[in-house]
Amino acid sequence: MAKHETPLLDQLESGPWPSFVTDLKQQAATKPECWDILGILELSFKDRITHWKHGGIVGVFGYGGGIVGRYADVPELFPGVEHFHTVRVAQPSSKYYSSANLRQLCDLWEKHGSGVTNMHGSTGDIILLGTRTENLEPFFWDLTHDMNQDLGGSGSNLRTPANCIGESRCEWSCYDTEEACYKLTMQYQDEIHRPAFPYKFKFKFSGCPNDCVAAIARSDISVIGTWKDDIRIDQAAVKEYIAGNYPSNGGAHSGRDWGKFDITKEVIDLCPTNCMWMEGGELKIDNSECTRCMHCINVMPRALRPGAEKGASVLVGAKAPILDGAQFSTLVLPFIPMSADNDFEELVEFIEKVWDWWMEVGKNRERVGETMQRVGLPTFIKVMELEPIPQMVKEPRSNPYVFWAEEEVEGGFERDVEEFRAKHAA
Amino acid sequence: MALSKDELKAAIIEKATKSPKPQLYIKDFYACDPDAKPREIKNIANELVREQKLMFWSSGSTTMYGVPSRIKNDDGEGGV
Ligand code: SF4
Ligand code: SF4
Repeated sequence: MAKHETPLLDQLESGPWPSFVTDLKQQAATKPECWDILGILELSFKDRITHWKHGGIVGVFGYGGGIVGRYADVPELFPGVEHFHTVRVAQPSSKYYSSANLRQLCDLWEKHGSGVTNMHGSTGDIILLGTRTENLEPFFWDLTHDMNQDLGGSGSNLRTPANCIGESRCEWSCYDTEEACYKLTMQYQDEIHRPAFPYKFKFKFSGCPNDCVAAIARSDISVIGTWKDDIRIDQAAVKEYIAGNYPSNGGAHSGRDWGKFDITKEVIDLCPTNCMWMEGGELKIDNSECTRCMHCINVMPRALRPGAEKGASVLVGAKAPILDGAQFSTLVLPFIPMSADNDFEELVEFIEKVWDWWMEVGKNRERVGETMQRVGLPTFIKVMELEPIPQMVKEPRSNPYVFWAEEEVEGGFERDVEEFRAKHAA
Repeated sequence: MALSKDELKAAIIEKATKSPKPQLYIKDFYACDPDAKPREIKNIANELVREQKLMFWSSGSTTMYGVPSRIKNDDGEGGV
């Protein structure tokens, strides 16, 4: 394959950061089709339009997801990327790899594809970039038989679920995120591999409100660990922080001298609900007002811990589309228990209720969050058979989120205004 | 009254063959049997794919169904 002149791309190599252009040139030594990736991109820069055709009917037999078809619209100029399909491979929970597994994965992709990878895609999958249609089945055979790994979701499927490292390494985790992610991945194999829905659907599991997988921003159902009882306080450790004997934030900001730790300035005044204060040398928290934001716990991890009655909050409807505004998911279930002993029964029941409704009511290419917006939160809550609570509303004190049905109002809506005004001046 | 599985399969194929668009969303098949649950329709459409009577067309973000003879790949191939 011919090397192409790429002055516009070459300029990208001049910055101080590593450049994908350099990487592709290096890869082209063994995979000459990489010259054509550079060539087609240079042409797109010149023409100010993409030269990739999006989509198609490529896939592996029996699967309706995991492969995204890509074709060049100028194959005569760049034959190496005439087909350049993307393969999504499900990532291991928490993205724990052994180096042996990574090597095997790279060898497999050198064998069947361009060798170019993207670790990881925004859904979390291992993304393998660039292969031809005829290589897909042999690749899939090796992936599943030799490596015991599987494709992830794409299209109108359940997308590969993702989780934070949870209890495997993080003491803040309020449930076993890896177990939940794995169980649901296995349970919903059909939904991951075969299109089931009006549009894509994502779950993400974070063990606490720090939300390290950004579930609240990126998933249709965000499962975020929380606790019901009080934040556990070790008053002796609080005193050590105040005395400057323990580094705040676990030492995360210790690269610079920020001055003496000031509990009022750095913790109490930053509590979003103003529910903390010092009294008689002790730190006090009005837990009924705490929104579980994690700030105080993050700053003083040796003194404060999440409560002991743990579970998760479930939020619905995030999306990050390119064209329309991004939206966070909305709190729907403030607390559910999360236990592998009952196969996460409470969560599963809720997920299937949401699916049944959305498959019926959702329009084509409408994310569940958009369907919720279209019908309105009160309708959604009614269908889900839930009671409205202030936490579902952004500004509950100024937003009249309680709507009365006629039968709930004494005298209905048809009462005599004259008579009312006689007693209550306008 | 709900259709039998075979009747539903036939109705789905007929819709996919006669519709003006060669590719249809899963929801477009719901009308084939208003009494069937969306998940039943999805399962049957997927069974038809396994039988190679329907095939998928995917843009990467969304997936559609069609009869193989009507779907053309972007590169003009008959598909896999
Ligand atoms: S989301 Fe919470 S539990 Fe999970 S890794 Fe982050 S801090 Fe730990
Ligand atoms: S978790 Fe957040 S809201 Fe709760 S007490 Fe700590 S800082 Fe305040």
